[in-house]
Amino acid sequence: MNEGPNPTNELENPDSYQFLRDGASTVSFSGQTERIGMATELVDAMVNFESTEEQLLEMYSNQTASGADANPFSDASLNSSTKSVKSKVAASNDLFSTNSVESAEIKEALESMIKAQVSEVFPNQNELASLGVAGQIADGSSVRYVNASGLEYNQAVNKSLIGALMVDQMLNNYLSTSVLDEGSNIEDNNNGIIADGEVYTNMEHKWDEAFGYLFGAPGADYTDPLNTLGGGAFLNKYLARVEGDEDFKGIANEIFEALKLGRTAIVTKDYDLRDEQADIVIDRISEVIGVRAVYYLQQGKIALANGTLGTAFHDLSEGYGFVFSLRFVKNSNTDAAIFSKSEVDSFINLLTAGNGFWDIDSATLDQISNDIAAKFDFTVEQAGS
Amino acid sequence: MKKLFLFISIILFTFACGDDDPITEVFPNEDSFSRAEMLEFWADEIIIPAYTNYISDLDILKESSTAFFTDPSEPNFNTFRDSYILAYTSWQQVSMFEIGKAEEIGLRNFTNIYPTNVDLIESNINNQNFDLALPSNFVAQGFPALDYLLFGKGDDDEVIVQALTSANVTTYVEALIDRLNDLSTEVLDDWNGGFRDEFVSNDGSSATASTDKLVNDFLFYYERFLRAAKVGIPAGVFSGNTEPDRVEGLFSDIYSKLFFEAGFSSAQDFFNGISFIDGREGVSLKQYLEEIQLTNNSDFDIAASINDNWQSAELVLIDINANFRNQVLEDNAEMLALYDELQKAVVSLKVDMLQALNIQVDFVDADGD
Repeated sequence: MNEGPNPTNELENPDSYQFLRDGASTVSFSGQTERIGMATELVDAMVNFESTEEQLLEMYSNQTASGADANPFSDASLNSSTKSVKSKVAASNDLFSTNSVESAEIKEALESMIKAQVSEVFPNQNELASLGVAGQIADGSSVRYVNASGLEYNQAVNKSLIGALMVDQMLNNYLSTSVLDEGSNIEDNNNGIIADGEVYTNMEHKWDEAFGYLFGAPGADYTDPLNTLGGGAFLNKYLARVEGDEDFKGIANEIFEALKLGRTAIVTKDYDLRDEQADIVIDRISEVIGVRAVYYLQQGKIALANGTLGTAFHDLSEGYGFVFSLRFVKNSNTDAAIFSKSEVDSFINLLTAGNGFWDIDSATLDQISNDIAAKFDFTVEQAGS
Repeated sequence: MKKLFLFISIILFTFACGDDDPITEVFPNEDSFSRAEMLEFWADEIIIPAYTNYISDLDILKESSTAFFTDPSEPNFNTFRDSYILAYTSWQQVSMFEIGKAEEIGLRNFTNIYPTNVDLIESNINNQNFDLALPSNFVAQGFPALDYLLFGKGDDDEVIVQALTSANVTTYVEALIDRLNDLSTEVLDDWNGGFRDEFVSNDGSSATASTDKLVNDFLFYYERFLRAAKVGIPAGVFSGNTEPDRVEGLFSDIYSKLFFEAGFSSAQDFFNGISFIDGREGVSLKQYLEEIQLTNNSDFDIAASINDNWQSAELVLIDINANFRNQVLEDNAEMLALYDELQKAVVSLKVDMLQALNIQVDFVDADGD
């Protein structure tokens, strides 16, 4: 215990994310690591032109179309897992427990992009993309594969999963009091009653699962994750990107410190402190999604003005995924989602209207950017560069 | 300085309002330097002559390839290879001018993306159903693909000659050479056809003005294609691991330094305004910076500092192997030292120079995914 003059924080925040009970680590988030691994294989397979629709859908749901066990992954441990990406897409307690209609719609939106990659883009592998025609387009010396509207489905799915899987689970599920305090969690945690056959209390584990979606990629050193920040894919990578923007420097440390202190607070049974830390994580992770959405829309706008269409389409495809992800971000003050379904739908409609990216204009991109930034404490200028 | 400029601007503006002169004419640049003269010098004394020279070398390459395919003798093979090296070297002198038609068609992408993809080249040769206009074929065409075909398609010259004269390979090599010719001719025709005047007359100071654009193209080239691709990537600066097989001219082996030097000295000549035609000094970025220094009454000679960085790079270069691959394998510290000197100039160019010239960077670091 820190007995120094620190009135708001009487706990000592450990240097690393390591928590022990009787000498054994109580930190566990293997399910998150598996899902990140599955999502990684899925988005990679979307640009392997040998992939079939069946394989991709099996990677999404880790079962066959008829519900039997499937082995779609190259990593055998993922095949033996009973978990899947799809089951945790738009599946948080707070947002979707009584909103299975929207949950199913979001799961289906991702699934239809996965299918369309095979049915629309794969057949045009060796065509040049043009207005209304799927195919290749150059982004610098890189090759991008887009649909008839200029959208890269693989990028859209990749970035949409950051919101629909990772952020939703993290903010609207595991960091929510509805999950942390579920059932007898508080009483068990107060009395050191551990979960059946485990070394952790349920509450500790829930918190770790939130942590795992950010810092628990396969092979990552989670105890001191800022050292390798950006080395992982998905949320981890884009936290690194936002951290790399001078306007937001320090955000990664703020999130890591809050996750550590919140976990420490669970150990010491200080639930107010825990919730304060959860609020910090909720607001900062939400900010990461907002910043990246605006960033890519603005970068896309610049690339369009420069006449580099392929670069613009790539930016806008990433932007599409981050805009999609906005549905899952949360404001800790209101304890509610920042964007409604209809708001996000209207952004997506603006991006895809008509011939999609082929005829989108800078005014539309600015309009969406402004609408997004207005909900956060940053400006379009700060996020856009 | 800024305040003074604002003051003068207000006076000029006030004056302009009482006059029929268009406002643009009484709003000069902050300095008295003539961007138009510099653009004219760049177009007439550097860019157009360099393209003309490059295409003339491509014509020689075409002739020598025709001679070789007609009579695949050893002398004809050697001439073919020599003319290939010559054209590849001349390419280094135009690569940085990716503006206008070159930018529109993506000339550099179709000319010099390496490492080349040997499997894709072989697959294109075998099925003979290839579309070189596809971005996915950037890595199967241009000089790096020719490098493989002329130097890497066999263990010795005899085997290579044999391979080249098989019908499918011949077709592919000819298609690659024709494409280099067609694309660069399209670019030069555009310069000669009207783009030159458009380029020179677009002499303002804005993101779309010729000076701002070409300076950005120059910096982009210097940073990505000279500093990173030719030196930094093989030396492992970005990945942490040396990547000797990513040198330019991997198969021809002993020309990577030559190609680098051609690009490096062209970059220096562009900055210092050295005429491609006769080596005389003309209106340049260097002069521009010197004039701004004078106007600002500053002690900081940005141009000299940039040239000093380059001089240091040249000194390191003296001891570097003609074969960058061997240099990386045997003593990579020297390659890293070369990179460091090149990098020092990036800072001077991108920060000090651009600030002085009031030019915004129009490219960002690629996302990497």
